[in-house]
Amino acid sequence: MNALLLTAVFGVIMMLSSFLLTSKTAIRGLAVSGMVIVLAANVLEMMGIVFFKIDTKDMIAFDRFSLLFNSIVFISTLVYFLLSARDMEKVGINYGEYFALIFFVLCGVTLSSSFHSLLILFLGIEIISIPLYILTGSDKRNLKSNEASLKYFLLGAFSTGLMLMGIALIYGATGTFSTNGITTSPTSALVIAGMLLLMFSMAFKVSAAPFHFWTPDVYDGAPTVFTSFMATIVKVAAFIAFMRLFNDEFGSLQSRWQLLIALITAITLFIGNITAVFQQSVKRMLAYSSISQAGFMMMAIFAMNADAREGLLLYSAAYCLATIGIFAVLMKLKDYSFDGFNAFAKQQPLLAATTTIFLLSLAGIPLTAGFLSKFWMIKAVAGTGKYLWLVIFAVLMAVVSVYYYFRVIQAMYFKEGDGQTIEASLPFKWTLVLLAGIIVLLGVFPNWIIYWLYF
Amino acid sequence: MNITQILFWFLSALTVFSALMVVVSKNPVYSVLWLIFTFFCISGHYIMLNAQFLFIVNIIVYAGAIMVLFLFVIMLMNLNQSSEPKKHRWLRMAGVVAGGCLLLVLVAALKNIDIKKQVAETNTGDIGLIGNLGKVLFNQYVVPFEISSILFLSAMVGTVVIGKKE
Amino acid sequence: MGWSLENISHFIDSWLYNEFDPTIARLIEFLIIAVCVIGLFAVLGLVLILMERKVSAWMQVRLGPNRVGPGGMFQTVADTLKLIVKEGMTPLNVDKFLFNLAPFIVMIVSMVVLAPLMFAKNFQIWDINIGILFITAVSSVSVIGILMAGWASNNKYSLLGAMRSGAQIVSYELSAGLSVLCIVVLTGSLRISDIINSQANGWWLFKGHIPVIIAFVIFIIAVTAETNRAPFDLAEAESELTAGFHTEYSGMKFALFFLAEYVNVFIVCAIGATIFLGGWMPLHIGNWNGFNHAMDYIPSFLWFFGKTFLLIFVIMWFRWTFPRLRIDQLLNLEWKYLLPISMFNLLLVTVIAILKWHF
Repeated sequence: MNALLLTAVFGVIMMLSSFLLTSKTAIRGLAVSGMVIVLAANVLEMMGIVFFKIDTKDMIAFDRFSLLFNSIVFISTLVYFLLSARDMEKVGINYGEYFALIFFVLCGVTLSSSFHSLLILFLGIEIISIPLYILTGSDKRNLKSNEASLKYFLLGAFSTGLMLMGIALIYGATGTFSTNGITTSPTSALVIAGMLLLMFSMAFKVSAAPFHFWTPDVYDGAPTVFTSFMATIVKVAAFIAFMRLFNDEFGSLQSRWQLLIALITAITLFIGNITAVFQQSVKRMLAYSSISQAGFMMMAIFAMNADAREGLLLYSAAYCLATIGIFAVLMKLKDYSFDGFNAFAKQQPLLAATTTIFLLSLAGIPLTAGFLSKFWMIKAVAGTGKYLWLVIFAVLMAVVSVYYYFRVIQAMYFKEGDGQTIEASLPFKWTLVLLAGIIVLLGVFPNWIIYWLYF
Repeated sequence: MNITQILFWFLSALTVFSALMVVVSKNPVYSVLWLIFTFFCISGHYIMLNAQFLFIVNIIVYAGAIMVLFLFVIMLMNLNQSSEPKKHRWLRMAGVVAGGCLLLVLVAALKNIDIKKQVAETNTGDIGLIGNLGKVLFNQYVVPFEISSILFLSAMVGTVVIGKKE
Repeated sequence: MGWSLENISHFIDSWLYNEFDPTIARLIEFLIIAVCVIGLFAVLGLVLILMERKVSAWMQVRLGPNRVGPGGMFQTVADTLKLIVKEGMTPLNVDKFLFNLAPFIVMIVSMVVLAPLMFAKNFQIWDINIGILFITAVSSVSVIGILMAGWASNNKYSLLGAMRSGAQIVSYELSAGLSVLCIVVLTGSLRISDIINSQANGWWLFKGHIPVIIAFVIFIIAVTAETNRAPFDLAEAESELTAGFHTEYSGMKFALFFLAEYVNVFIVCAIGATIFLGGWMPLHIGNWNGFNHAMDYIPSFLWFFGKTFLLIFVIMWFRWTFPRLRIDQLLNLEWKYLLPISMFNLLLVTVIAILKWHF
């Protein structure tokens, strides 16, 4: 509740800041301090200190899982602000409004991680989506950005329509919006139809195949600084909503949807990884890699056990931090192709080293957080005792993914070239180093996160 | 069949027909006009359920505001049949198959509902009257109601960001 | 039993239900209502157009129509005859269906809006419990007819006029709606009869302090714009758009647009009279019992029509007082001034209503 209200309030403050404050540094400082306050408030709530006691009529439930997830998201956003906030200046003149929209998105994230009613799920997903359509199209003079925004908007509106239809059917069958689980038996066909519609719309939001077609174009067309935000924080938030929905509401029907989710997972893994191999631009490769990572996260939805919940949290942290780091480096470059990274290590040894760690984590190499999160996912799926082919397939695809992540590393260290000259300030470098440190530490001590889930 | 039933079937047939015409019409302006007509038919259903407030809101919001903006844009763009890009035959087939699947699922879902138990409250229902609706909205559903203000605020900020001249 | 409209309508109602079975009686009532509404339309059209010409003549110190009938009284009848016998032209390359449909939509919308209006004490077609919302909702639909006419005419001036009209109606609806809401907040009901009954001890314009007066002024400005009247008549600005959305219309179809415009003026003034000036409620002043009784002797429908025509006169007065606005000025006026003011005003009225500061 703390975070929910504070993010909304800071959204309004940032909105007003753009005409009260003239200096961009001041706006940025305000945003960063706002983020710190939100994070602190959320951590306090995890310790049991709630500022606002509001009777939500059991529509929002802030449990450990959602609070911990919120903290992960807020830390990631803080890191994102520290690394990339300066790059938002290049997008357009509405500097304060970009922060306002991002705070509103975070408000939606807190809602979609803690909903206990389908209404709140809808509101959360919409509060996430609408600012994103705007941020995607915020580079107004760039036709690609406009196209991406319109595409995202139309498809997003369509999937929201599916979601509403699903909610309506579920409401028709159960007579309630609250996600207490389907208890009626035999399960009416209305519930199944509603569940399918909700599944498809959520699969769209997390860009799982075959609902992924918007992802590469939108991620590629959007200003890179916002792609970084979209591909990380928003995506994991949609996953948490997905997980909560299918855990709370459709948990009793697991045997009905498990095969379908397994198929979606396999297709997502296959399409994401195979297509990423053929990309020439690192930005587009990262878009496809985000699809393949979505495939791994889908495994948590599939398994839906204690391991899956722990794993999804760990995965969110590992994936968000690493991807934000890579995008922060990518934004400094002018040439987004693989060749742009040639001889990057000679030019910027420190940045190259941190980027390597991020890439290793995404590829799932041991001693990084990425490895452990993938391990947790596979453990969760194996724990269900069914569909072992999915485990094997996932491992195979993880191996494929190593290829395209290592292509960047190879370009940085082993290819000859001029190397792009980039300006990286000292705080920027140190933040990256800190980020890489966190990723390695999480890879060794995952309990730092999982501990919070239970104590 | 009493008058209510006759009206219901007439309105339903009209709704389905006009909704089909939205899709079938070649000219986008006609599509929008049929859509407006569809909204009126749906509003008619609200009246039959004694939900007068919903009836009015449906007209104000959809027919009076949103669809007018649609008409605005479509009329100004001056779209006509010739400017519509030709689609591949297989793409159309895929659309038909996908839409047909959705129809199949929905029909299957609606087919075996126990309709007998659910009786539409044609004259006695009062949940759609403004007083009752207001009480429900501001008691039980006050949290989502307030949260939706964040949604609208973010949409407004977004509109300014997109619309402002640089 | 006095011969008030209320008694007549009750008498007809009970007679019908005694003589026929309920379904048929109801159908006959519908028929009577339809005939009355159409009759009212015809009379209103004739009277208002004559009034417009006489008022403008008076404003410009001239006589106005004075040849046909005593003092030119039958001038509009003659004009209507001319329009009826005129050829109804349909230009080439227009969208025939929409072109012919548009005037009827505009007309039907104004007819439907009459339903919840209370013309005299207990004399009303449909006492719907959300009457005032019904009026705002349905009257917003007429813009579809106007857009249709403009687009179907296949004429750039018509389209431009329709676009202007659309933008104007959609924008000014907001502040008109918010001013109406002020009274709804004070009354606590959307039903027209409740709103009128709440003014038994004084009209809201006098009871509600300055915020209601502000609401009234905004309402009058907004409805002037909504009905496309001067100084907001950009939609049909003769000098720029050669009559806007009805450039291509002639004969009876043109007459329908023309009539609908005047009937709309009547309707919005009737709403204004109902919610701000007490509808059919006679003017009562505090404890002046003698005065109050004298006022009660004036029939209620005279009060209603008197107030309505007073407002109509004000709106006609505007036409000869203010110069026409440019489209950007018009939109600025609404979005930057009227809308914020009326929102703030609504807050003030709410405070007044909660603290019961009104009389």
